[in-house]
Amino acid sequence: MKKKPVALTALTLAAATMLAACGDNASNNNGGASSGAASAPAASGSASAPASGEKIKLSIWHNFSGDDLRAQAVRAQIDKFKAAHPEIELDAQAIPPDGYRQRLKTVAAAGEMPDVFFTQSGTSIQEFYDGGLIQPITPLLDKYPEWKNNFMEGALDRLSFDGQVYATPLSGSATSLFFYNKSLFDKYQVKVPTTWDELMTAVKMFNDNKITPISLGNKAAWLAQSSILSSLADRVTGTDWFLKAASQDGASFTDPEFVQALQLFKDLSEAKAFQTGANSLDNTQMEQYFVEGKAAMMIDGSWALTNMAATGTPEQLDQVEVTVLPSVPGGKGDPNSISGGSGGGMALSKTVTGAKLDAALELIYTVGGPEGMQAIVNSNSVVNYKVEPDQAVVTPLFYKAFTLFKSVKLTPVYDAYLTSAAADAINNGLQDLLLSGKPETVAKKLQDTQAQALGK
Amino acid sequence: MTNAGRLRAFIAVGLLPTLIIYAVFVLVPIVWSAYYGFFDWKGIGASKFIGFDNYAEALGDPIFWKAFKNNLIIVAASIFGQLPIALVLSLILRKSTFFQRFVRSAVFMPMVVASVVIGMIWGYIYHPQIGILNFILDGVGLGSWIRDWLGDPGINMYAVSVPVIWANVGPYLVLFIAAIQNISSEIEDAAKLDGAVKSKWLYKIVVPMIWDTIKVAIVLCISGSLKAFDLIYIMTGGGPAQSTELLATYMYNNTFEVFRYGYGSAVSTLIILISMILVLGSQLLMRRK
Repeated sequence: MKKKPVALTALTLAAATMLAACGDNASNNNGGASSGAASAPAASGSASAPASGEKIKLSIWHNFSGDDLRAQAVRAQIDKFKAAHPEIELDAQAIPPDGYRQRLKTVAAAGEMPDVFFTQSGTSIQEFYDGGLIQPITPLLDKYPEWKNNFMEGALDRLSFDGQVYATPLSGSATSLFFYNKSLFDKYQVKVPTTWDELMTAVKMFNDNKITPISLGNKAAWLAQSSILSSLADRVTGTDWFLKAASQDGASFTDPEFVQALQLFKDLSEAKAFQTGANSLDNTQMEQYFVEGKAAMMIDGSWALTNMAATGTPEQLDQVEVTVLPSVPGGKGDPNSISGGSGGGMALSKTVTGAKLDAALELIYTVGGPEGMQAIVNSNSVVNYKVEPDQAVVTPLFYKAFTLFKSVKLTPVYDAYLTSAAADAINNGLQDLLLSGKPETVAKKLQDTQAQALGK
Repeated sequence: MTNAGRLRAFIAVGLLPTLIIYAVFVLVPIVWSAYYGFFDWKGIGASKFIGFDNYAEALGDPIFWKAFKNNLIIVAASIFGQLPIALVLSLILRKSTFFQRFVRSAVFMPMVVASVVIGMIWGYIYHPQIGILNFILDGVGLGSWIRDWLGDPGINMYAVSVPVIWANVGPYLVLFIAAIQNISSEIEDAAKLDGAVKSKWLYKIVVPMIWDTIKVAIVLCISGSLKAFDLIYIMTGGGPAQSTELLATYMYNNTFEVFRYGYGSAVSTLIILISMILVLGSQLLMRRK
């Protein structure tokens, strides 16, 4: 679908430049020409200039520096762009994820932003938008309507401001997948819970059999919030209430429905649903514990799919099933939902103009366009894009999870909507609930922090 | 210029580079940080002057005082843990046989190991499921002592103090050995002739003779403990539920996790003030002695 317009524009451009210096490089130049023509009507004169020899310098920063499949897939797309565009001098910097945000902030403060850079959705990209540092990529989306229309509902929301899209998500996330170990449920004849009461029964039955019911490693503190509370609270309060409370407009975190959600979490803890020392284990240890069959259930995000595939044996992974968190009777939320959202994407610096702008947009399309989305989903990573993973390449567990992901509604993840200070407050609060804290106190602290951070 | 004057000028010139480096990299940032403390600043975008609000907020935050209390636990553990251990070890290890040199190196070793490594090692020792400590306790029939050492807010501050003591005995040991070796052997012989047993010799001769060194060590202990960050950050990150929060982790989390640069700056300024008060206080106390 991409080939046709490219070939056409390439033809016109090639004709215009009198077929100069084409030769066997023609296929390569085609790609370049298409970038030149991307906004040809607007910048007609200057667009042909780079084709005649002068190199365009373009810089891109991203944090796909690791050895995992997804990082490799993204880097491969960037390399593809490089190979297809010899007329562009691309300076690609892969920076390790730890500290990436800080480094980006430092160059932002110094006014030395790279032309194209990866940024997280939500609060992160908002800061760049508020600082007037980025420009929309809506024209690119309008140019490829098929691409634009294949994004899942709401996928672009956290990357858009004032009706303009500033980046497209390179990955999606589901933060509260409900994993369970089929063999353990069969062995002890426990029903896979679909309601909260059934979950509590399952917890009791596994405890009676000396099996940890739910694996949790909450040392890093965001886990219980992101994976358990985001979905659990949504089941109880509904999404509308949360959005109101997050913006402190018509709802408060001290409302009884939210306190009830916290109480349900505390009940789990008091029923000894989690293993001892849940507060001093980390995310990896929790996943390992589950995949080794020491716990019957685990509530974790889509990142667990890759981690478990890396550490578990095929037999262990075969036992793992995935579904949605049980529903809460009387709750206002849609039980067929998973908390999740869009990951970050490539944003475009405001300073980029002219031929460079066309090149930058083409780069963004190569990385985040349909081809990039296919490559990323084939690397066992969830995307908020309607695409079918290649079953021969992805793991069976990922295929199951992604099929589930496409069939449910996404609800907000708490820390993507709360201010950083409030996210910190609820993270610590949930750790406290696992110890001796009271739901009312935790709710009040969250309410006070969010209100203060928003200046209300 | 007189000879003395020339010497003084020479000393001044010689000190100048150090002074400049110290001023640029230590004094100026401290002043700046105190200044940033007056702003509401996210690290990006505009900052807003808010006067003493950040300072007032920190002083009114119970977590700040909890972090301060935890810091005092570390200070106490350092002074009453590290120093006596270092003193006793230095008495045993002051000679230079092969065995003593070996033990000395072993005690000093944690100092040259990266604190991340130490934090990880002790994290595994205390691990609630595969930790060697619980394993040993179980093995010797003390199963009832098994705890979630880093997760139980009642004990985790004491649990994290142990590696802090273990990792920092080394330098004090070196300091004390050097001081004890300076006590002339005549004094030791005289004490022996007078019939001083080991314990008496320690209290009446060694401690008074190296008192100045001990004072220095105490000051180092206090300032070092207030800076404590790395080990605890690796082991617990200040959690769970901020139960092992220290002033430094509190400052770090507020600055780099919550992105309140202004507030973090205010807290670091307060840490400097608190350190100064404690160090001065300890000096006054010891002078009276």
